[in-house]
Amino acid sequence: MITLVHVQVLSAGLFCIGLYGVLARRNAVLVLLAIELMLNAVNVNLVGIAAFVDHSKFLGQIIAVFVITVAAAEVGLALAIILRLYRNKGTTNVDQLNLMKW
Amino acid sequence: MTPLVLFYIAGAFALGGAVGVVGTRNVVHAALFLLVALMGVAGIYLLLFAEFLALVQVLLYGGAIIIVVLFALMLTRLQEFSSGVMENKQWPIAALVSLGAFILISVAVARSQGGAITDRAGPGVLLLGESLFTQWAIPFEVASVLLLVALIGAIVIARSGEGEP
Amino acid sequence: MENLTANLYLLWPEFLLAGLAFVVLTADFFLPAERKNYLALVSILGLAALIIFTTAFLLNRNAALYGGLILIDRFSLLFKVTFLGLGILMVWSSADFVKRYLSHPGEYYAMVLFSILGMVVMASAGELLTAYIGLELLSFSLYVLVSHAREDLKSNEAGTKYILLGAFASALLLYGISMVYGVVVQVGIPAPTTFEAIATYVARVNSLPVSFLVGMALIIAGLGFKVAAVPFHMWTPDVYEGAPLPVTAYLAVGSKVAAFALILRLFAQAFLPAIEEWQTIIAILAAATMVLGNLVALAQRNIKRLLAYSSIGQVGYLLMGIAALSASASNALILHLVGYGVTNLAAFVAVIAFYNATGKDEVADFAGLADRNPFIAMALTVSLFSLAGLPIFAGFITKFYLFLAAAQADMLWLTGIAVFASLISLYYYLIVIRQMYVEEAQVKTPLSLSWVTGGLLGLLTLGTVLIGVYPKPLVDVIQTATKAILP
Repeated sequence: MITLVHVQVLSAGLFCIGLYGVLARRNAVLVLLAIELMLNAVNVNLVGIAAFVDHSKFLGQIIAVFVITVAAAEVGLALAIILRLYRNKGTTNVDQLNLMKW
Repeated sequence: MTPLVLFYIAGAFALGGAVGVVGTRNVVHAALFLLVALMGVAGIYLLLFAEFLALVQVLLYGGAIIIVVLFALMLTRLQEFSSGVMENKQWPIAALVSLGAFILISVAVARSQGGAITDRAGPGVLLLGESLFTQWAIPFEVASVLLLVALIGAIVIARSGEGEP
Repeated sequence: MENLTANLYLLWPEFLLAGLAFVVLTADFFLPAERKNYLALVSILGLAALIIFTTAFLLNRNAALYGGLILIDRFSLLFKVTFLGLGILMVWSSADFVKRYLSHPGEYYAMVLFSILGMVVMASAGELLTAYIGLELLSFSLYVLVSHAREDLKSNEAGTKYILLGAFASALLLYGISMVYGVVVQVGIPAPTTFEAIATYVARVNSLPVSFLVGMALIIAGLGFKVAAVPFHMWTPDVYEGAPLPVTAYLAVGSKVAAFALILRLFAQAFLPAIEEWQTIIAILAAATMVLGNLVALAQRNIKRLLAYSSIGQVGYLLMGIAALSASASNALILHLVGYGVTNLAAFVAVIAFYNATGKDEVADFAGLADRNPFIAMALTVSLFSLAGLPIFAGFITKFYLFLAAAQADMLWLTGIAVFASLISLYYYLIVIRQMYVEEAQVKTPLSLSWVTGGLLGLLTLGTVLIGVYPKPLVDVIQTATKAILP
């Protein structure tokens, strides 16, 4: 039997793997992919809560729709900015973004 | 197969893909691993009565976002998709922080209640649509403005145009 | 289902604002190149008209739309007018930059107008999802504005860092929202994401479950990133330094005022019953932010980074107001937001004026400014003294009330740290002032100042002094706003 705890632990796992990706990766696109993982973890959490606890209104699914929308828009915009950076600079390595230090 | 087994399979895809995204040295492989992870998540949605969300997940993430990411990667023409060290110097601390966060959140949710869900029905597209356009109309409209801003912004930033400083 | 759209007409200001943004955006297509810069004037006049309309229309109305999603009250009215005014100042201060560097001004001004719409939604939101969407609208517009100088590497870098940081903060905030939702919906409270429902839950429960506390911590972390509180302030100074100057000013002032309007409403209406739980944490964050922001500012040689770290320090004082949350603290907080907004903007516009004339932004370049252009030097001096909290300027009154509120809430240790931080800030502001008045300039040519920027600078400097000397009308308005959220 699937329980809410199963779903929430899965969501926590995805979230923390994404968290590691954001903190440890150097390439801007890889950081973006890790953030997508975190946002999907949020959605899993929301849908799980909606299924187990909020079974009259399913508010979690509605919030999840909005999260997917914002995440998609974010990826589009972020890639445009990263592409512009790459065209001007030749690298997308976040560690090498050091024109401005301290 | 019982739902629980299906859940474990979908979860394995999701978590396995996730580990691939943060672990691989090749950027294109990372994007493909993300696709695997997100399809696993779509499977979870199907098990949790979110059929419409599963559909949207596959179409949007699999069909649009991953494609856009791959296009962007191709346009950067990285000769070396897999060269160089992909982790920065603080990765042990990052691993520790992530592990700590996972333990903290798991402990927090360990006492969540939620009964059996074998005999429930999902909201279906009708209920979701009704809700989105009546009760949640204002955030919906603001979200549409947000999409417009993202669209205009992406074009303004990425287009090649007249020389500007 | 009750008639949800009954009060929809109350949102006319928002609809008109969106309409203005669309008009400005599309007009850019049809206007010939020489006339495009009239769009700045169109935006300013449109915003001014909106201020008059909004005040007249909403002055005595109180309503909760859609079951608490959008709250029309004195609090949101005050902030709506503030944001519209800020928009006018922002467009005004960008006029020179846009004329010189951008060939499609309509896009820039439309982004500013959309960002104001996001801010308005943030201040009126009575519920977590609506607040989040408003916050994201503001953030997206800012991402675009920060990256607007497309060929400037620093701007690209700033834009990349800003959007990655912002997306990460959103993910944290959302996870927190999902956890709070999970806990509140479990006890069967209807509309579980509204602030009212959360307050009901918090008041009802004897001890908050761990998942609620984790959710709240994540929400605080996410919002902390958005306002650049310590320890969430990484990359913020880089973003400030790389963005075009008018955008940096807007980031330092606009996004912070909007975020704190949201934070104030969230904590006053949703989390207030649990104040013992979060008061100490917020106080510690406030202390860390005040101290670190001001200490690091001491080491800065670039005026943009100096002002960036100084505004991080200011966030510390604002967090102190949240930690000490009470009616008087709320009044002090809003007063400080307005006063700090005007003052910081004055400082930035002075720097913008200097940059437009010389193209330089290191503190060392300010040497001898008093001889080259006494007006800019005076304006910058007034705003820096006000930021430091010296009497007769806005900064003194606003800081005084804020410190008083913290002391009244039995947090004397925090007030002491705040005073100490203010003294540190006075020191580095004096360094800049000394450069202008005491040091000799390398090149002694006088600096030109356009009427547009000069007029704006004069207006802001006047405002800084006016708030310091006669704050009463402003305080009265703010008191009615506070009553709306803390009855």
